[in-house]
Amino acid sequence: MLESGVAPMSTESVTGLTQRLYHEARLLDAERFEDWLEFMCNDVTYRMELKRRRFRADRSPPAAVGVGVVFNENLARLKLRIDRLRSGFVWAEDPPNFVRRVVSNVEVERADAENEAIVHSVIVIHRNRIDGLTRVLTAGRSDRWRMHADGWKLAAREIALDHAVLPDSNINVFF
Amino acid sequence: MDVSGLVDTATGRQSRAIYSSEELYRQELERIFGRCWLFLVHTSQIPEAGDYFRTFMGEDDVIVIRQKGGTIKAFLNSCTHRGNRICRSDRGNAKAFTCNYHGWSFAPDGSLSAVPLEKEAYFGELDRSRLGLVPVAHVAEYKGLVFGCFDADPPSLEDYLGDAKFFLDVWLDAMPGGTSLVGETQKMVLASNWKLPVENVCGDGYHLGWAHAGAMRAVQSLDLAGLSVGNSSTDLDGGLSVAGLNGHMALTSLDGVSGYAFYPKPKPMLDYLEFNRPQVIERLGKVRGEQLWGSQINITIFPNLQFLPGLNWFRVYHPKGPGQIEQWTWAMVENDMPAEIQAAILDNQCLTFGLAGLFDNDDGDNLAACTEQSRGWRTAQMDVFTNMALNRSGPREGFPGDIAAGLVSEHNQRYFYRRWQEHMQADNWAGVPTYNINSVVAEETINA
Ligand code: FES
Ligand SMILES: [Fe+2]
Repeated sequence: MLESGVAPMSTESVTGLTQRLYHEARLLDAERFEDWLEFMCNDVTYRMELKRRRFRADRSPPAAVGVGVVFNENLARLKLRIDRLRSGFVWAEDPPNFVRRVVSNVEVERADAENEAIVHSVIVIHRNRIDGLTRVLTAGRSDRWRMHADGWKLAAREIALDHAVLPDSNINVFF
Repeated sequence: MDVSGLVDTATGRQSRAIYSSEELYRQELERIFGRCWLFLVHTSQIPEAGDYFRTFMGEDDVIVIRQKGGTIKAFLNSCTHRGNRICRSDRGNAKAFTCNYHGWSFAPDGSLSAVPLEKEAYFGELDRSRLGLVPVAHVAEYKGLVFGCFDADPPSLEDYLGDAKFFLDVWLDAMPGGTSLVGETQKMVLASNWKLPVENVCGDGYHLGWAHAGAMRAVQSLDLAGLSVGNSSTDLDGGLSVAGLNGHMALTSLDGVSGYAFYPKPKPMLDYLEFNRPQVIERLGKVRGEQLWGSQINITIFPNLQFLPGLNWFRVYHPKGPGQIEQWTWAMVENDMPAEIQAAILDNQCLTFGLAGLFDNDDGDNLAACTEQSRGWRTAQMDVFTNMALNRSGPREGFPGDIAAGLVSEHNQRYFYRRWQEHMQADNWAGVPTYNINSVVAEETINA
């Protein structure tokens, strides 16, 4: 359930945003990257920070320059990644891999801005790549979606990858 | 096992068995990872007393701890009671390490400080002084880089590094503030033999234009070595392949800016280089100050440490069997760099050679497939080749090493396999040759 004291979003918004997440997953599974970009705000931020594994009682200070990232993208950098994938020279993606996203645990909250919503979800990306090689990546996502004239668009996505050691040789996929 | 027939550096040939044989792998753990100085940690990663960092030496889990008073010790991360791992955190700061199994507790200096029910269950007969954590035999630092060695009687770290120090200092000692590794550890499992990424980064300029063609197309400014997409027209003289540095090697361009010129917003970096170049020339001499500092350089310290001033990534490979490694990467910065430059370097390193690195993501499958194609009954009997530009190397004024012109060559790879063979053939350090070919006493260095 939603955090206590938070008024729920309308059923219409919840349904609309949930459908958008599912649609987004299907576009990415089909490598319809340009269509996917249509759902990005111009000022979108798309981030995945590196993971830490620390004792609960650890006393060390935070990293001075930053923890580092897997993704730290704006619209231009998302396009850059898509340009690479579209170049015809990314041999790891040819033949195309079998990629299927499962999106679940969708929770919609009000945001501070009237025309925005916070959306939490879980994504599991199943990749079958070389012969029988199958890798499954799991991540939590916290998004901020913004209502535009033509519907909800992604303003920010924070992705928490649930792997201390990446179990594959690349992340040629979007979450 | 006799490996004299498995590698022929005179003709540039390796047997594929060296990438797949379980027996050779056990021998590598003993004769290479059990004998060589291995990178453990950068001093910047454990600045305070009680700071620790977990890593591996070969397959041995090791914990490196900053002591009171500033020295650094390393121990096997294994409880002396029944062998449990004592620390499961990557790094941090701790007053003690208490084993999860029965609760034995070890101080940061490795001593066994507390044993539950010591009087009641052991009747006070346990000699705690003999049950401290097992230390790594030798730990030494070279300008921020901390290495450990299991061998009882190795050469000194300085001697081990040999003339590779000429290149190491271009990163570690160009600026008075020294260097740091920044960010969390970027860890990835690769189904590759550990030697394949090392040989790739130590000398393989050949693959850049083809394996990374997609990234190069997308990021025009990241034309790393002046190589155009598809290897169609390569600037073959754009740098040097330097080997014969006592088992280590470097691949370097010579323009003094190529390491940073490709950044998306290079101006602040190029300004930093030009502002500081006079003092770097003063510290390292003209050759290194003008031609190397700021250039894209690949430095390899045998067996499993590689770092690249310019792209600014720093990496070790931990073997996990003949066909698997964990690849650990950090971004590296000079401490004198302004904060914005450091942040831009961390960001760019993650973008290009991080877990979703535009370039790094091209390499893993190639290395894994080369490994897998060495495992079949028939393929294991076959050879592979590093025979490009044989016998075209020599000395070069102002530089140490046996040098081949250009970044596209297989000169460095041959020296890598030569060193591998020398270690695998030798029973101990006495049997391992030392060679610093064309040694130069850098005339104007403060580091002598
Ligand atoms: S194994 Fe560590 S206390 Fe028993
Ligand atoms: Fe590469």
